[in-house]
Amino acid sequence: MWHSMTSAPDARRWRLPAAILLLVVLTGCGPSTVVVQGSFPPPLLDPLPLRMGVWYDEAFAGHEFFDEAKSRRESDWLVKTGEAQVQMWNTLLGGMFRELVQMKGRPGPNQMNQLVDAVLVPHVDELQYAIPTHTNVKVYEIWMRYRFELLTTSGDPIADWTMTAYGKTPTAFLQSDEAAVNLAAVVALRDAGANFATHFTRVPEVREWLESRATTRGEAEP
Amino acid sequence: MKPGVLGTALLAATCTVLTGCVTATVDEMVFNEPTEGIGDSTVVILGRRHASDYETEPDFIQCVGKRIASRDRSIEVIGELEFINALYPWFEPRTAPLRPQDIDRLLLHRPVAEKMAALRTEYMIWIDGNTVRTDSAGSMTCGIGPGGAGCFGFGTWNNDANYEATIWDFTDRAEVGRINTSASGQSYMPAVVVPIPIIAPVQGTACDSIGDQLLEFLSSEF
Repeated sequence: MWHSMTSAPDARRWRLPAAILLLVVLTGCGPSTVVVQGSFPPPLLDPLPLRMGVWYDEAFAGHEFFDEAKSRRESDWLVKTGEAQVQMWNTLLGGMFRELVQMKGRPGPNQMNQLVDAVLVPHVDELQYAIPTHTNVKVYEIWMRYRFELLTTSGDPIADWTMTAYGKTPTAFLQSDEAAVNLAAVVALRDAGANFATHFTRVPEVREWLESRATTRGEAEP
Repeated sequence: MKPGVLGTALLAATCTVLTGCVTATVDEMVFNEPTEGIGDSTVVILGRRHASDYETEPDFIQCVGKRIASRDRSIEVIGELEFINALYPWFEPRTAPLRPQDIDRLLLHRPVAEKMAALRTEYMIWIDGNTVRTDSAGSMTCGIGPGGAGCFGFGTWNNDANYEATIWDFTDRAEVGRINTSASGQSYMPAVVVPIPIIAPVQGTACDSIGDQLLEFLSSEF
């Protein structure tokens, strides 16, 4: 009886440290997770006179990258970029075009959608990252390859092209690997926006399409 | 003297004594003689970020800006992030002008020209370089037990800073000068139970040197 009366408070006293210890051990087992977060400025551009639609498919809007550890000394990595991708592209495209419309579905013959001049469908084809333990260089890097489809509202292709983006950040005192990878990803997203904004009208098919639109409008006007 | 004041004075004196030595060199090339200060105009200090294996540290850029603004309060220094956000995507590593003549190409974009006029930027200063740890020696062992924790050993390392500032006169679209600063210093960390870091402020010395030299271009008081 005496034993049970004294051991119960003892057990309660050790419950919290044990739970913390268990949490620490379990945390050590999980992957290093980065949910990319950042703020993205609107572009300083003269907007193109287009009512542009955009469609983010599930793979893009929820984009994440998982890399399994190669050795016991390394940890798994999970980098979730989807939310930041949508945030950045909405801000960028909103400033690049006279009007940006979020489509209800991917354009196709049977898909009811809003009336727009064209629909942009971005994809992340590939993402690679490097941290100092991989490269022995004191820089964290993120590299992405995008593929863009520019479609008519009925889903016919206007243009299809790829584009790369790169971001890096140096090691910093008291900065965790996760914070540095997040910063590198934000830099890569900014770079993606800069690359897209400055090269969109130089994509040969896009240029042809814009020229044909200008010609058609010129002929229509008296 | 009150004990609190005495304590603070002793701490400050100890910190001063426990600072490693730094040697710094500053070279300057002047292509166009500086004018009598920048008047009502503003100056922006930007870091070059297009090298693959290093990156000019944002905190170094911030330090130089603070140094200039603190020594001549009439000079308005625009923050780096504020400037590149306001002019996104034209000052990203991919798109930033590499020569003063590239400014003309930028100003062809009406919103960019308007923003630059609103910011009243007279001088644009590009800083390229970084601070690296060149070598380190010694060893230290730390332990933790029921009686407490402690470290024993000795460590030493060298830091080298090398930065080059290129000054562009925004109005004349010309490079007016270059300042190169290099600093190096050795830091020590002896540990008998408690580690005592004796840090050589290499980056801080480089920041002060380059900031003071830049004041000769920007300020009418120097």
